Amino acid sequence: MLTNLEESVAVVRAPDVIASVRDLKIHFSGKRGMVHAVDGISFDIRDGETLGLVGETGCGKSVTARSFLRLVQTPPGVYAGGSITFRPRRVCDDCGGVGCRECDGTGRVAAHCPACGGKGCRTCSGTGEETVDLLSIPDAQMRALRGNRIAMIFQDPGKALNPGLTVRDQIAEVFLQHRTAEILAAAGVSPDDVLLRRQASQKSRAFEKMLLAVPPLRSGRNRIDAALDTMVADALAQTQIPNPRKVMERYPHELSGGMRQRVMIAQALACNPDLLIADEPTTALDVTVQARILELIRELQQRHKTAVLYISHDLSLVRRVCDRVMVMYAGRIAETATSPQLFRRPTHPYTRGLLGALPGRGAHRGRLAAIDGTVPELVNPPAACRFVGRCPDEVAACSRTDPPMVEIEPEHAAACFVHAPPVKAPASRPVRTP
Amino acid sequence: MVDASLSRPPVRGALVETAARVRLRRTLELTGRVLSDPTTVIGLVIIVLMLAMALLAPVITTPNVPDPYQMPRDWGAVRKPPLTEGHLLGTTNNGGDVLYGVIWGARTSLYLSLLVVSITVVVGTIIGSIAGFLGGRFDNILMRIVDVFLSIPELIFALAIAAVLGPSFANIVLALAVTFWVKYARIMRAQIMRVKQNDYVDAARVIGDSKLRIYFKDILPNSITPVMVQATTDMGHVVLVGATLAFIGLSEAGIAEWGVLVSEGQAGISSGRWWASTFPGLMVFLWALAFNLVGDGLRDALDPRTEGR
Repeated sequence: MLTNLEESVAVVRAPDVIASVRDLKIHFSGKRGMVHAVDGISFDIRDGETLGLVGETGCGKSVTARSFLRLVQTPPGVYAGGSITFRPRRVCDDCGGVGCRECDGTGRVAAHCPACGGKGCRTCSGTGEETVDLLSIPDAQMRALRGNRIAMIFQDPGKALNPGLTVRDQIAEVFLQHRTAEILAAAGVSPDDVLLRRQASQKSRAFEKMLLAVPPLRSGRNRIDAALDTMVADALAQTQIPNPRKVMERYPHELSGGMRQRVMIAQALACNPDLLIADEPTTALDVTVQARILELIRELQQRHKTAVLYISHDLSLVRRVCDRVMVMYAGRIAETATSPQLFRRPTHPYTRGLLGALPGRGAHRGRLAAIDGTVPELVNPPAACRFVGRCPDEVAACSRTDPPMVEIEPEHAAACFVHAPPVKAPASRPVRTP
Repeated sequence: MVDASLSRPPVRGALVETAARVRLRRTLELTGRVLSDPTTVIGLVIIVLMLAMALLAPVITTPNVPDPYQMPRDWGAVRKPPLTEGHLLGTTNNGGDVLYGVIWGARTSLYLSLLVVSITVVVGTIIGSIAGFLGGRFDNILMRIVDVFLSIPELIFALAIAAVLGPSFANIVLALAVTFWVKYARIMRAQIMRVKQNDYVDAARVIGDSKLRIYFKDILPNSITPVMVQATTDMGHVVLVGATLAFIGLSEAGIAEWGVLVSEGQAGISSGRWWASTFPGLMVFLWALAFNLVGDGLRDALDPRTEGR
């Protein structure tokens, strides 16, 4: 089932960067000091690619992903430095989001820089495209991006859906937040109708709702409801849910795990986002369902050319799904490469250890390989390689300085003095990871 | 004439569940679960009878003029035992008809419990929500205030308030309201702290919902159940404590209130005139028992953990 996925992985797309993380630091204040959960990492996500973020529990991968949506609780979390630059797109004018030649079938085009209107200025560093720093924009602007331009799928769909609302209400919520104009257009209601516009943007107060239940106004409300029903059913149909009109009237507990995850995916992709964050989307599912959900995400991603940041601790899964992989260890990036490169030529000792720990297909039963030692405590870590103490290839330099990211081959970089020696002295030419 | 149903396509409506139908089914399921417990049904029956009695009081009895909540005094028939002509449950030392007191006392109790419970639920829910949802400094300050209220025994606190403000029915309401909101604040805060942790709250943030919307859409509906259960139990508890306060004389004398009646009749108990205290006392007992039974039944039906299936 997954073989066709594997073939498509090798395709490298045009390096059109949609989000770039620079020197991101996220700390948590703990009882014994600052825990450096994410400690200065930099990477780019390209338009339409699937970037895998791999590492063991507590290495900072979830925190990194959540910081894209500013979901990290502060306090105890602290955004201690760095930036996440994001280029939000807007709906293509030529096709209205359906996908045409102008927008390369994505239905999205770059949004013009608000400072210069697309001509290019200092704010947008000459590109004419709108860029925002996700960590510093005001809350209102962040809310407009959430669910609209950046969406997220959670690990356990059973917990990520409100048990008291029908599937329809939960998906309709996204449209009500971000697609008021489209709802009104689909319902054939004038956008000047204040009462109905407020209804279609979830702003109606109780007394307005009562007004809308009165017969002459009721038809407008019913048209909005019908338009929403259609939008929700279409979103569900995309995820290959059979009989969407029936499923959308159900409550989450009446659905199977796979169905719930499809609902989550439908909700996440409802507004055709530029970036989808998938936080271990298949961990809570049965193995048989896992494969189908992965295939679904892959297919929808290719159709909409959405960039996906895929968080996982399952290397074999990442190999199948991701274009590029980033291995994180103790709040740092250990290695980054395209997926074939990483599995052909793992460089960082940690990556090697991870790959070695995979139970081989042909191997006989016996002891499973493991990496010795435990993850270091991240309270005020010293300037040294984080893997010191567990590393089989350790040299003296490792406990004195942090190894910089060094490019080994195009697209492939690692932070290791032994296997990716810096060209001159340590920290001479740190390569920004692509 | 051709039967219209023949021309219709095969019935598909039976398969398609509309939201309204799903909601109806869920309500029926819940009702069924509540009614499957015989003790809950007993409680419900008592409550229905009490409510009927309270609502129909002006019909069953001739209301006293000018104030029907004042006991009528029949000075010609003092200390009559039950089954006396015109005084089915007997009369008190002051010629008050016990039956009238029992019936209008139900009305007083309903009035008292609804007033106190609605005030305390609203106040407690708001304060608990602020503390739980906003957390941090708000939480600290509000919960320290709650601690102060909790450190004083409920009855003594109510007693102190009523004593300071003087004996009147309104002051009993006030005293009870001031003591009872604390529980709701605590329950609500704990619930919100728990519900807030759920992934669906993060999921709501992820789709761009505002904090207020998240509170009303995701948090409040999923945390209100224990408050409702507590409110049901308190409908009985309030009357019990209210009657106690009235018994010690913190209500104005002579009103048709069960606690007042018990207090009026207690002097006669040792002389064998048991009826003036027994019947109103029994009513307090039944009222509190009924709401407790229903409260427990609701909790069992709503809380998946105590589901005995």
